[in-house]
Amino acid sequence: MALLQPPVIMGQSTHRVQSLPVALLLCAVVFSGCATLPGNTQSAVLSAKNAVYPALVHIRPVKEVYIAGQRREVPTIGSGFIITEDGYIITNEHVAGDSSVVWCVLSDNTELEARVIGADADTDIAVLKVEASSALPTVRLGSSARLESGQMVLAMGSPHGLARSVSLGIISVPDRYLGDADGLIAPYNNWVQTDAAINPGNSGGPLVNLRGEVIGVNSRVLSGAENVGFAIPIDIAREAAEAIMEEGRVRRSWLGLRFQQMGAKTDDPTVRGVVISDVSPYSPAREAGVRPGDLLVAIDDVSVDARFEEELPAVRKAIADLPIGKTTVLQLKRDGEPLEMDVITEEKIATRGGQTEFQEWGFTVAEMTPELARRAQLPERTGVLVSGSMPGSIAAAAGLEQGDIILEVDGEPIHSLAAFTLAYESILESGQPATMLFVKRGAVTRFVLVKTGAEDAPALEKEIIDHVD
Amino acid sequence: MLIKRFIVALTLVVVLPTGLVSADNFSQDMLQTAHERLHEAVCVLTFTQEATDPRTGEQQRQDGNAVALLVSSDGLLLSNGHLQLEHIRSFNFRVYVRRNGEEQHYPAVMLDKPDDINITLLRIQSDTPLDLPYVRFQRGSALSLGEPVAVVGVMGENLDFERSIQTDRVAAMLDTPRTTYCLTNPLRLGFISSPVVNLHGDVVGVVGVDLDQEEGGGILARPGHPLVFQTDLFIEHVESPPDVSPVSLRTEEAWLGLFTQPLNEDYAAYWDIEEPGGLIVSTVVPDSPAARAGLTPGDIIRYFNDTPVYAIHDREVFSFTTMIRESEPHSTVTLGILRNGEEETVSATLGVRPRTARDAEEFTDETFGLVVREITRDLRILLNIGDEVDGVIVGRVISGSPAHLAGIRPGVIIMALGDYTVADLDDFESAVNQLEESKPNEVTAFARVGATTGFFRMRPRW
Repeated sequence: MALLQPPVIMGQSTHRVQSLPVALLLCAVVFSGCATLPGNTQSAVLSAKNAVYPALVHIRPVKEVYIAGQRREVPTIGSGFIITEDGYIITNEHVAGDSSVVWCVLSDNTELEARVIGADADTDIAVLKVEASSALPTVRLGSSARLESGQMVLAMGSPHGLARSVSLGIISVPDRYLGDADGLIAPYNNWVQTDAAINPGNSGGPLVNLRGEVIGVNSRVLSGAENVGFAIPIDIAREAAEAIMEEGRVRRSWLGLRFQQMGAKTDDPTVRGVVISDVSPYSPAREAGVRPGDLLVAIDDVSVDARFEEELPAVRKAIADLPIGKTTVLQLKRDGEPLEMDVITEEKIATRGGQTEFQEWGFTVAEMTPELARRAQLPERTGVLVSGSMPGSIAAAAGLEQGDIILEVDGEPIHSLAAFTLAYESILESGQPATMLFVKRGAVTRFVLVKTGAEDAPALEKEIIDHVD
Repeated sequence: MLIKRFIVALTLVVVLPTGLVSADNFSQDMLQTAHERLHEAVCVLTFTQEATDPRTGEQQRQDGNAVALLVSSDGLLLSNGHLQLEHIRSFNFRVYVRRNGEEQHYPAVMLDKPDDINITLLRIQSDTPLDLPYVRFQRGSALSLGEPVAVVGVMGENLDFERSIQTDRVAAMLDTPRTTYCLTNPLRLGFISSPVVNLHGDVVGVVGVDLDQEEGGGILARPGHPLVFQTDLFIEHVESPPDVSPVSLRTEEAWLGLFTQPLNEDYAAYWDIEEPGGLIVSTVVPDSPAARAGLTPGDIIRYFNDTPVYAIHDREVFSFTTMIRESEPHSTVTLGILRNGEEETVSATLGVRPRTARDAEEFTDETFGLVVREITRDLRILLNIGDEVDGVIVGRVISGSPAHLAGIRPGVIIMALGDYTVADLDDFESAVNQLEESKPNEVTAFARVGATTGFFRMRPRW
């Protein structure tokens, strides 16, 4: 694990008032600092800023959040930049994804409502589109392929909602790996680590080199640290944005493999390849017979190697980039013996599924994705997940809790959120007084009677505790 | 001597009632008398507790003290039931008896916990016959709402555990699952399991903390709210105490392998079942006697060997648990069930209740710095570990050890060590032994963390 504390997604802040005097003070300091820079650096900073500044966007999305069994709309703030004259804007998925409306304020203070073209959680990239009467200023996208530590960069955006802010720093590390044991924070890329001040609200804004080219999308900070910020390399962002502009989403291949660097098994530098640490049940790789502990040495004759963890994203991306539904040859090593296996790639399904609020019962339900089914130890992808229940609601009175998996409604198996929605609607329509759910919580199942006719008299005694015999 | 003092007390009791009829509260004399009569039977119990985190097997030790009440002259003690909780082991008992201003202490052992009330019984161990002061309880002593009571307990450690008395009133009468009384004041810990005296001077019960899990305590517990356990609830256990038998010597219990819920009126109405009561089978533990008998979720149990099974409320499912536990392991029982509205009879051969995480076996490996434990059935259910997962669960990681440096944490399930598959503790031990002979520079553990698997590379210091 690369970090003591996981980086937090930059959220939104309402501390604008308190931040202002601090920001003013900081400005004064920065200006005095600038004076000591050589003249050519000062002009380079100014020209780099001027190259991007007109295309900088202050973004005000209204996000849908599901809390305690309710869907709520929360206004937030982020940053972005215009990449095409006809109004395509790049920002973060965590800024603009799951939004009901997104407002964009351009550099000339024009405020336009944007359409969300698509949002990709795996790269944290979203693309917006605004309609303007004339051609819009755009940024120049650079390359993130050959970045160097020590290279000067500017971060631009709306820290704590303070629009049009620019901060200066250097690239601290060009390819920082951020990973944790099982949650994959950006599985397909390393990060550009910078000390240019990045704060909540900078999310989605550009990281710019002194040539005035965008080389990253500012996305994360390490909480509790000073000036440890992270940007998505622009090459990754550009690729995701192009896919979103074309198809509205990023399609990826999936084999059901998880990897660890060779160092997890041995520090012998002569051993090449990457360690397969986990094979998902019901995955193409499992069906083909791949086992945890096998070493993957090549995919379709292209060798893969990851001695260190920062080499893992490239391996994952090589698999994601395979054509979907096609046969691929995996070259493996098992107990030192070479082995070849044919697998047919499947399309990767998002970890997180859609959510719906069911207001009458006072709870929210999420789609069960294969990954969630696996975490819940379900033998197959079935049921729907209760994502929250509102205190005092019918659902709460019945004892439904976050994390419960509804397997059956009135004896009928439920396999998707759509199926549950249909069943729910017909229950409401029929006006039946009670509905029986069969629910799984952890390893234990139980029957839950939802008294739909009892809005005025919620059950006092919750029959929710089962007992082992 | 004590006997004399009791005689004095008894005469006082006889004298007092005349004054009591009009009195609504304790007079100073009455409190002094009660204190004098009872304070020598109130002892301080010190002990060590070892709590085991059921998820990880991690153990923490802590010293504690409690009130123990002498209930017989030969050293039977009554104390609070929290000394015997799931996942908590109490030991190292010492009882401090204060008599005529002098303190004497004795070692004590814990007796089997009564299964119907949240108290613990202990017995002082002594080579010489004992003749200790003790409390005599009054049977059939019901209390009424608002009735004043006095409680003899101990002050805190900083006040040298001085015996003290305080008064209270019955604030509420609880009638589920059986009559108990609730007091008004939040009593300090030094008053739990202390004797409760009524206006007549009768010892009508002891102060209890809450109900036991087995009797629905999980649902009805009111943390910090003292109850009066009236004499009739526990006097049988005091008069014929359980044997001195350490918990580990407990005999095998029968097991069926079911989770159930009560069939209340609403559930019965939904399924068009005329009479509520009975137990709905909600979960069948895989590979259990219940699974082999073909029981499935939705079956409703109505008879156990011709004895009706009736449960409307959660707490009533415990009677079925008791029926199972009291049966002989490996015996065959018949269950009258309702399946899809039809009455059926199912016979099941009971198994032996699997060991719980508390009694799990463990193995300490000093090479890698790991204390690993077997994955017990209850842990499988608690952590939702599928039956296909075999291995040992890490309970403790010794700080600075190769396992610690490799990032292994408590809760990780080790499934292979080096080239050796680890399905159980024996496998783990033999793998460690083999590795100790071959002494490789690095050893990789294949393990499960949450829902995913991965490798940990350790560098043992041979």
